Amino acid sequence: MLLKNTYNEFIKIVAKPRSYLGFGALTLLIAIIIFAMKADGETIVSFITASFEQTLAFNGKLVNGNLIAFIILQMLVVHIPLLVALVTGDLISGEAAMGTVRMLATKPISRTQIVLSKFIAGAIYTLLLTIWLGFLSLFVSHLVFGAGDLIVLNSDGLVILQEADILWRFGLGFCVAFLALLTVATLSICLSAFAENSVGPIVSTMAIIILFTIIGSLDVTVFDTIKPYLFTTHMASWRSFFEDPVPYDSIYQSIIVLLVHIAVLIGITLYKFNKKDITS
Amino acid sequence: MKKLFLLAFLCFSVLSYSQTANAVIDKINAKLLAVKDYTVNANINANIPMIKIMPSNVKIYFKQKDKFKIESKGIVIVPKQGFTELNSFISNKSKYTAVFGENAVIRTIQTRLINIIPNEGAGDIVLAKIWVDVAKSVIMKSQITTLSNGTVNVDYTYGDQISRGLPSVMKFEIDVKKFKIPKSVASDINKSSADKKKASANQKTKGTITITLSNYKINTGLSDALFVKKKN
Amino acid sequence: MFVNVYVNQPFGTIHVLICLIIMEKQAIIKVKHLAKKFGSFEAVKDVSFTVNKGDVFGFLGPNGAGKSTTIRCLLSLISPDKGTVELFGQSLAKNRADILKNIGSIIEKPDFYKYLSAQKNLELFARISGANVSAKDIAEMLDFVGLGNRAKHKVKGFSHGMKQRLGIAQTLLHKPELIILDEPTTGLDPQGIVEIRNLILRLKNEQNKTILLSSHQLSEIELIANRMVIINQGKSVVEGDVSSLLNSEETLVRIELNDAVKGERIIREKLNVSAVTQTAANELEVNITKKRVPELCKALIDADLEIHAIEPKRKLEDYFMKIIQA
Repeated sequence: MLLKNTYNEFIKIVAKPRSYLGFGALTLLIAIIIFAMKADGETIVSFITASFEQTLAFNGKLVNGNLIAFIILQMLVVHIPLLVALVTGDLISGEAAMGTVRMLATKPISRTQIVLSKFIAGAIYTLLLTIWLGFLSLFVSHLVFGAGDLIVLNSDGLVILQEADILWRFGLGFCVAFLALLTVATLSICLSAFAENSVGPIVSTMAIIILFTIIGSLDVTVFDTIKPYLFTTHMASWRSFFEDPVPYDSIYQSIIVLLVHIAVLIGITLYKFNKKDITS
Repeated sequence: MKKLFLLAFLCFSVLSYSQTANAVIDKINAKLLAVKDYTVNANINANIPMIKIMPSNVKIYFKQKDKFKIESKGIVIVPKQGFTELNSFISNKSKYTAVFGENAVIRTIQTRLINIIPNEGAGDIVLAKIWVDVAKSVIMKSQITTLSNGTVNVDYTYGDQISRGLPSVMKFEIDVKKFKIPKSVASDINKSSADKKKASANQKTKGTITITLSNYKINTGLSDALFVKKKN
Repeated sequence: MFVNVYVNQPFGTIHVLICLIIMEKQAIIKVKHLAKKFGSFEAVKDVSFTVNKGDVFGFLGPNGAGKSTTIRCLLSLISPDKGTVELFGQSLAKNRADILKNIGSIIEKPDFYKYLSAQKNLELFARISGANVSAKDIAEMLDFVGLGNRAKHKVKGFSHGMKQRLGIAQTLLHKPELIILDEPTTGLDPQGIVEIRNLILRLKNEQNKTILLSSHQLSEIELIANRMVIINQGKSVVEGDVSSLLNSEETLVRIELNDAVKGERIIREKLNVSAVTQTAANELEVNITKKRVPELCKALIDADLEIHAIEPKRKLEDYFMKIIQA
């Protein structure tokens, strides 16, 4: 029954026009970024290298497909959660708003299975969105700009990674980015179980992300104790794969924090949805 | 009379020293000018605080008087100054005054320091110091201070091309005090403020770039077209 | 079939009687002392009733009486605070999935995924109905409810009546034993109401389905239900056979005539009927056995009164109002 309903959930996602909004928005955003980098990439990169270039000369193709892919990921990390929440935030509350939750909950499928099937379908959607992001950012960028070494600016300096040493980093980086987006998806599904309309969970998800991100980026010692437990702190963990050496310990820590978030949020959703009186 | 003699002796001494410094530079210039162009394979190994880069192999092209090109597969970091500027600067004697400094031993080799003081309006260089192996007429070490880039020290080691004054290893020491990370670009939100403070406290102020040069191909008649920068 | 087998056995007659008693008494729904609060509001205080196999069971009550809450409790949409719900002899709390496999329902109005076609919607619900429903079954069901030619059309373009018919299709698709219809005729035009009524009668007569029908249309209930319960202010007030509760021998007749005062006097004196009330200047209501209706008409005409209209008035309405007001 779980698989059957997961299939149903996926059919619903595929049929909903809003599901394509994410793919469309990503395509448009990436097209704009690629166009901007094609037109003025050197200037943007010189902003990164400016303070070094008084003493050092950077030789080689700095603006290349790998850099563009990295910049795209970096820039869109704030926006993709919105695109994910747009669909996943609607998965339970949308049924309540439409009234179909009545039909669904009177079928011989447990509420736990309903929630889990929605979660799996939401995860598949998030995965497809991540794959699409990866395809556009890597494949199209390489097509337009060609390959090359990747110059990455971290808070502790520049890292220049050789071309042959990059693809696996993107691969693993996308996996961690997917996990981060899955956490967002689970959060919005969880909020969706508390709401009877679609807008509430989407807005709430974004509000939580913005709030936690602000707390995470404030260099204030008071917040240092809670920062490691905020999921937003670990949303940029994919970037760690572009450090040298790769800080695997901190990545594992991020993965654990994100997985714990996912498990707790699913638990809350299951509890709430199982206890919920469907009066809509 | 004694006083006059002493004065004449001092004047002669200074003059003779000055002539010797110029003569040493002349010999170096003569060697360098004999190399019209060259191609050389280079391995660049940079050890610079705030920059992590793997050693890479490149090909360097040079043509008199100051045409210079690095051909690399990927991104390489080289010092902005030190390859051609010094040679180009010392080849034009009207731009500076050369004065001997103290003797020094560099890697068991007796060297002579020559202070090169630019004349007024000579450009970006404020002061250049070169330590010269007088016997072989090669620069063993240089220290160039410019208005724009601060001080760059270069150590030269020579191999089979010592007769032409071409080094086999150049080790650049670079001042990195001015390096700054634009905050808006670097977004490591997964680092706590304590981590960031610790990272900035550990910053070194000097970095080195070691360029190992091998397989020189000299005076092969490189065309000027090779040095024209292609637009991406 | 079950009955036939026993008829051919020795002492067949006794067995038939026993079996008929068992069949008639087989409770499909058994609700005992159901109660549900939403915050401080007691939506259902004490509702009990039993629906037997083959019943068309009328579930009546004014707005806010607790009908929808009770029905939602039957379908596990709402968890009751007190009381028990048994369906097919099993506890709903323990055997939810098994029970729901045998139930088809429409709660208030059928809502569908508007961005999907009628066929896709049915496919979706069929997939999780617990029964094997083929594409052919879906096509036949759409034909049955008159939506065969709209199968591929998106539901967002459907009228209320079409959605209601699609709802019926969804209800019947997995061939459930029990059908629960909560206000199935709300918002339908007269033709739609007749269609639904006929459909319910067909389900009862041809397929022997058990149907729980909640409706505001008391006339509908009176026409098609054999048993009923009336609930008011969260409590079940009356439960029983419709015919015995309403006394089917008698009927309430509404008469429009030119002189209501004279008419009332004629009926009282000539027919010796006391249950006559003047309800308007030229309107009377008379409670009379069905056999005496022709006699009533003849007496009024013989007294030179002009009868403009004479029609039976549903007794359930009266009965319902009496119960609610009491």
